[in-house]
Amino acid sequence: METQNPPAVHIKDLRKVYVVSQQESGAKAALRGLVRRRSIEVPAVDGISFDLAPGEIVGFLGPNGAGKTTTLKMLSGLLHPTAGEVKVLGYTPWKRDKPFLRQITLVMGQRNQLVWDIPAIHSFELNRAIYRIPPDIYRSTLRELTDLLELEPLLNKPVRNLSLGERMKCEIAAGLLHRPGMVFLDEPTIGLDVTMQRRIRSFIAEYNQRFGATVLLTSHYMADVEALCRRVVVIHHGRLLFDGDLSSLVQKFTDHKTIVVRLGDCHADLKEYGEVVSCVDGLVTLRVPKSGTAQVTERLLADLPVIDLLVEDPPIEELIERVFAQEKP
Amino acid sequence: MTFLRLLAAFFKVSVVGEVAYRVNFFIQLFQTFLSLVVSLGGLAVIFSYTDKLGGWGPQEILALVGVYFLVGGMIGLVIQPGMEKLIESVRDGTLDFTLTKPEDTQLIVSIGRIDIWRLIDILLGLGIMTAALIGLGEKVGLWQAGMFLLMLAAGGVIIYCFFLILATLSFWFVRIENILTIFQSMYEAGRWPVSLYPPWLRYGLTFVVPIAFATTVPAEALTGRLNWETLLGAVGLALLLLVISRVIWRVGLRHYSGASA
Repeated sequence: METQNPPAVHIKDLRKVYVVSQQESGAKAALRGLVRRRSIEVPAVDGISFDLAPGEIVGFLGPNGAGKTTTLKMLSGLLHPTAGEVKVLGYTPWKRDKPFLRQITLVMGQRNQLVWDIPAIHSFELNRAIYRIPPDIYRSTLRELTDLLELEPLLNKPVRNLSLGERMKCEIAAGLLHRPGMVFLDEPTIGLDVTMQRRIRSFIAEYNQRFGATVLLTSHYMADVEALCRRVVVIHHGRLLFDGDLSSLVQKFTDHKTIVVRLGDCHADLKEYGEVVSCVDGLVTLRVPKSGTAQVTERLLADLPVIDLLVEDPPIEELIERVFAQEKP
Repeated sequence: MTFLRLLAAFFKVSVVGEVAYRVNFFIQLFQTFLSLVVSLGGLAVIFSYTDKLGGWGPQEILALVGVYFLVGGMIGLVIQPGMEKLIESVRDGTLDFTLTKPEDTQLIVSIGRIDIWRLIDILLGLGIMTAALIGLGEKVGLWQAGMFLLMLAAGGVIIYCFFLILATLSFWFVRIENILTIFQSMYEAGRWPVSLYPPWLRYGLTFVVPIAFATTVPAEALTGRLNWETLLGAVGLALLLLVISRVIWRVGLRHYSGASA
C-alpha cells in the first residue's frame, strides 16, 4: 500500500453552539420576555478533534450533557456544526448526500424507528424500499442478521409486544439492513439486562469483523466499552479530555491502586496503611497512592497474618467517575 | 417512480397495521355514513323549497358533495395523517431517523402515514359523483372530465401545500397539533359552493384557507361552469404554493438542524 487509507471520520476543532432563549422567572419578567427575548449561547461541543481509522470500534465517553449526542448528530448529518471541519467517509455530513446516507446508520437506544403496531419484518421491508436494497442482498443480509441476533421468533410479532431487549435487537437489525460501513451507536444497551447487553455487545463485535465497519459507540456501561473498544475518546463539557488506549486511560487518571488483603478477621486497624474502602468477612480493600504501593504491600505482609493479597487497578467505572468529577469547565 | 415505489411500501405497512384493528374500519364506515346522511338530508330539505341554489341545480350540488367526499378522503387518507406524524416526530425526535434516510425527507414525511379506511370516503365520493353525472346526462364531455381532473389535482396540491406549511411551523413552535384540527372543521364549509357565502367568507375560503379550490372549483369544472380565470388561478396558485411550501420546509429543516438538542 503506497497511500494510507483516509480516515473514516475526521473532525477538527468541531464546535456546536446552541442559542437558547432564557426564560426569566416571575410574571413581569416573563411578559417582558415576550417582547425582548434574552438569549445566551451554550457551547455543547467546544472544539474537539479526532480521527477514526476505517474498521475501528471506538468508545465515546462522557457524562450526560458532555456533548456526545450532539457530536453524533453532527457526524450523521442531523446538525450543522457551528464551526470546524467534519468529514465522514469523505463526505460532509450536513450536506446529507444520498451516497453518504446510504453508508451510515444511527441507532439510538432511547428512540425507536420501528413502526409500533406491526411486526418488525414490515418495518424492515420499508427500509429495504427506502434504501433500495436489491432483493437478493436484502435476503442474505436479513438471514445473517436474523442468525446473529436470534431474531427468528421476533420478526412476526407486533413490535409493541416485544420486550425492551428484543425490540433493541430489531432496532439494530433495522439500522443495519443496508450494511452501512459507518455505524453510530448511541447507548445501544441502555436499560437492558446483563445477558442482553452481552448478546448485543458480541453482535457489534461480529458485525465490525464481518463487514469491516467503523463503529463509534457511546455507552454508560463500562462493560460495553471494555469488551468492544481498545480506544476511547472521552469528552467533558464539550472538550476532549482523553483520546487513546483504554489501558493508558487507566494509567493517566489513576493515582491510586487497590490492595485487597485477606486476613482472618476485621479486627486489625489498617488505617495507617491506606484508606479502608471496605472490610467484609476479613476481606479488606485498601486504597493506596500508586507510588507507595510496593512499600505498603511489604509492610502489610511483614506486620499482619496475611492469607492472600492482590494489587489491582481501581475498577474502570470508578475511574471514569473520578475523571468526570474533575470539573474542568 | 420513486414516489410510487415508496407510496406502495408505506401503503403496505399501513394495510398490515390496520387489518389487525378491524374495528377502525367499522368506525370509519359509520362516520362516513353519518356524514353522507347529513349531506344528502340537507340537500333534500333545501331542494324541497327551491330548484336552484346560487345557480346550482340539485344534480350539480350532488356532484359537489361527491367532490367533497373525494377530496376529504384524499386529505384523510394521506395528507393529514402524514402531517400529524411529522408534528409528532419533531416533538419526540424520531424525525432524526427520517433525516438519516437516503431519500427526500419531505417525500418520506408526506406519505409516512396512511389511514387506509379513508378510502371509503374516496369510493363514496366517486359513487356520488357518478350518480350525479348520470343525473346530469350528456352534459359532461371529455373536455370537462379532463378539466375536472386538472382542477382536482390543483386543489389537492393546494391543500397539501397548505397542510405542509402549517405542519412545518412545528419546527419553530413544537406544540401545534390543534392547528390541523381547526382545518378539519373549516373543511365542512366545502360542502356548499363558496358563491353561497358572504363575500368576506368567500375570500377567506379561497385565499386564507383554500377550501374553495379543493371542492367548489373541481365541481365547477365537472358541471361546466369553470371560467378561464379560475382555471389559471388554480393552476398558478398550486405551482406557487408548491414553491413557497418547499422553501418554508427547507428553512424549517435548517432551523431544526441548527437549533435542536
